[in-house]
Amino acid sequence: MQKRGDNEAGVPDEGAPAVPVNPENSENSETSENSENSKSPGHAETTGISRRALFGGALASAAAGAAIGIVATGASDQSANAATAGATPNDSTIEFYGQHQAGIQTPPQDHLVLMVFDVTTTSASELQVMLAKWSAAMAQYSKGVPVGAVEPARDQAVPGDTGEAYGMGPNALTLTLGFAPSMFDDRFGWAKYKPAALTDIPAFASDALTPEFTGGDICIQACAADPQVAYHAIRNLARMARTTATTRWTVQGFGRASAGQGQTTPRNLMGFKDGTRNITTDADLTQFVWVGDEADQKWMVGGSYLVARKIHVLIETWDADYIADQHAVFGRTKSVGAPLTGTAEFDTPDFAAKGADGALVIPADAHVALAAHENNGGIKILRRGYNFTDGIDDVGRLDAGLMFLSYQKDPAQFVTIQSRLGTSDRLNEYIRHVGSGVFAVPPGLSAAGDYYGKAFFA
Amino acid sequence: MVTFATIPRARKGARLALMGGLVAGSLLLAGCSSSSTAGSTAAPTGGSAPVSNGAAQVKVTLTGSECALDYSTAPAGPVTFEVTNTDAAGLSEVELLSDKRIIGERENIVAGLQPASFTVTLTGGTYNLNCPGATTENTAFTVIGAAATTASDTQSLLAEGTTGYGSYVEDQAQALVTATAALDTAIQAGDVTAAQKAYAEARPFYERIEPVAESFADLDPQIDARIADVEPGTDWTGFHPIEKDLFETQAISASTKALSTKLVADVSQLQTLTTGLTYKPEELANGASGLLDEVQSSKITGEEEAYSHIDLLDFAANVEGSEQAFEYLKPGLTTIDPTLTQQIADQFTAVDALLATYKDPTVIGGYVLYTDALKASDATKLTQAIQALQAPLSQISEKVATA
Repeated sequence: MQKRGDNEAGVPDEGAPAVPVNPENSENSETSENSENSKSPGHAETTGISRRALFGGALASAAAGAAIGIVATGASDQSANAATAGATPNDSTIEFYGQHQAGIQTPPQDHLVLMVFDVTTTSASELQVMLAKWSAAMAQYSKGVPVGAVEPARDQAVPGDTGEAYGMGPNALTLTLGFAPSMFDDRFGWAKYKPAALTDIPAFASDALTPEFTGGDICIQACAADPQVAYHAIRNLARMARTTATTRWTVQGFGRASAGQGQTTPRNLMGFKDGTRNITTDADLTQFVWVGDEADQKWMVGGSYLVARKIHVLIETWDADYIADQHAVFGRTKSVGAPLTGTAEFDTPDFAAKGADGALVIPADAHVALAAHENNGGIKILRRGYNFTDGIDDVGRLDAGLMFLSYQKDPAQFVTIQSRLGTSDRLNEYIRHVGSGVFAVPPGLSAAGDYYGKAFFA
Repeated sequence: MVTFATIPRARKGARLALMGGLVAGSLLLAGCSSSSTAGSTAAPTGGSAPVSNGAAQVKVTLTGSECALDYSTAPAGPVTFEVTNTDAAGLSEVELLSDKRIIGERENIVAGLQPASFTVTLTGGTYNLNCPGATTENTAFTVIGAAATTASDTQSLLAEGTTGYGSYVEDQAQALVTATAALDTAIQAGDVTAAQKAYAEARPFYERIEPVAESFADLDPQIDARIADVEPGTDWTGFHPIEKDLFETQAISASTKALSTKLVADVSQLQTLTTGLTYKPEELANGASGLLDEVQSSKITGEEEAYSHIDLLDFAANVEGSEQAFEYLKPGLTTIDPTLTQQIADQFTAVDALLATYKDPTVIGGYVLYTDALKASDATKLTQAIQALQAPLSQISEKVATA
């Protein structure tokens, strides 16, 4: 911007030197105003009033130019460091394309970011573009590659990729997408593709669901060895969908609370091993997790159903409970994780065994007893949960717990188990289910050019 | 409240005629796809691109991480680029550049979706077809025929827009001077009720041109600083201490009157400084986006009008200033990226419609007061609407940049 007369009126100045954009100025932040103001106190009323770089673009004075130059140099130093700082890139890569989506059978990585979106567009074609962009971007992120330039060559270009995962490597990132029942209403013509099994999870006894963590249209589960890599993927997917979908709820998990194939059993925030009896074999995956040819909707064959439950743990009261009661709540010992009827973690629980006092050694309402497949008609689910913390809640308690995620070929498997747990689980004294969602997770994409929901737009 | 005609909208019809031979591509191409060179796009064929439907037809194919075109030469006149993305997960955009300037482009050409196209009218010379992210990003594209002797239509349209925006800023600054004088009259008369009303009437003129005003880094804090932003040892001046007296204390003191006198002088200086300024197209674009930063950082948070709670009035003024800048760029931008232009226009419509639901003529400023309760219930919705607008709006600066 300049005074008319410095140049031909209204004609763009083509000879102007390219000037790096200074993000601090373009934000118009109050702090930068103050700092600049403090550098030139008392000059406001004079003719020498300074004009800082406005609109994030052109410069008004040599002094301002010099200041911008320094900032720009600093910025490029930072980006150079970003590529080399810290540990070497984690090149562990999980293949994105395949028969099943990654992030289900994949042995759980250490970190989770789960994001649930509301689709805001009413246009099927805009939804189609969003899903195609997401699908392509997910493939790139899974390879540790940014989508769009981190540092565009043109001064006035907004970076396509936000950059915080630049140079960090793929970190075994998986991105898993699911559609909620609400996607199959009359908005986009998807009603005829709705699987019969995809219905909202019914209310259970002891539910304490909040609207802030319930429902939504589409979920994306990002898991990675590094939390920043997972967050980067979700952040950028949310960004590229900004005109078509809004973020509804999110949970960041900081530690896996389920074991996959070949993994040792981790612990939940209650200090107990979680997922000792989890599904690990291909036979169990076929029988309990992957939707087979029996599906009423053939597009779901090779897919699965995700149940997401945000479970708040009443940490402080649990921490005040005595150990024998803690054992009775879970039906297992704390350090070894053995069933109370055994001595080692993987001993098979004996739900009929009684002690000298004639009472069951594993109480009938212990968590392990109620959840066990032996007591649920053989039903199993693949658990893939994460511990989370959201700071401190509005009544002063630690806000933390388990982001329960389970995959099954029919949400009814979860419903069967949770119906029993919700009614009589001893654990209910210490937990609250505060969030809930169920999602149809389509099979994996075949190759680049394939995208989630493609068949629905035919 | 004083209102101003939205000048660019009235001129829209005339400008459309200027676009002449330029047609947004997809419709044009419906009948002439996949004719000759399907599957053989690895290297440009010799000769000039064939002309059909009045435009030279060039096919661009994105595969893997490659971007290839079937002809790298075309006769002067309309040229249509039809872009097919078969399986390039990392590519989704093609743009045609003249020197460093984007003269046509198409986004969201995602792997698996239908081909998309754009048409530009080209004069003789060498251009660059740019595929961001491709192994070979730039391919030279030659147009045979007379070279341009004058600035392109697009550049003329953009230049015309910047001139129009300059007038808009001057109009707002003049109105700000007038409205601030009315505020001063009420304050000097000690009339709190009249001064409250005059305060709300003056605010939008500043908020509409805030990025321009803020470019005068010493003057802006004296006019618009909030208490939290005042440097220790510096006097708090401008609109907001007056707001505090009028709406919180609800009393006019000698100090209020002195503040008002200074505000009149500062606003007058702002008018002097903004008169005769010229702007670059990218400044309009960044200013339009910057105003939405303002909305998110201080209006939706309720920090701007902490005593009067007329934040939604400022919100609307920021959006209006942003929309005006966009409207002045629109004729030129439409020739560069009609899809994006329409997307932004639609998002402005959505935000305007949302804001309209808060109108209340019985309240000072014409909008419901932005109370803590309203903030708690509606801030998320407002944020999402603004973010959905800013995402595409922030893309236009590089497209209209003159550098």
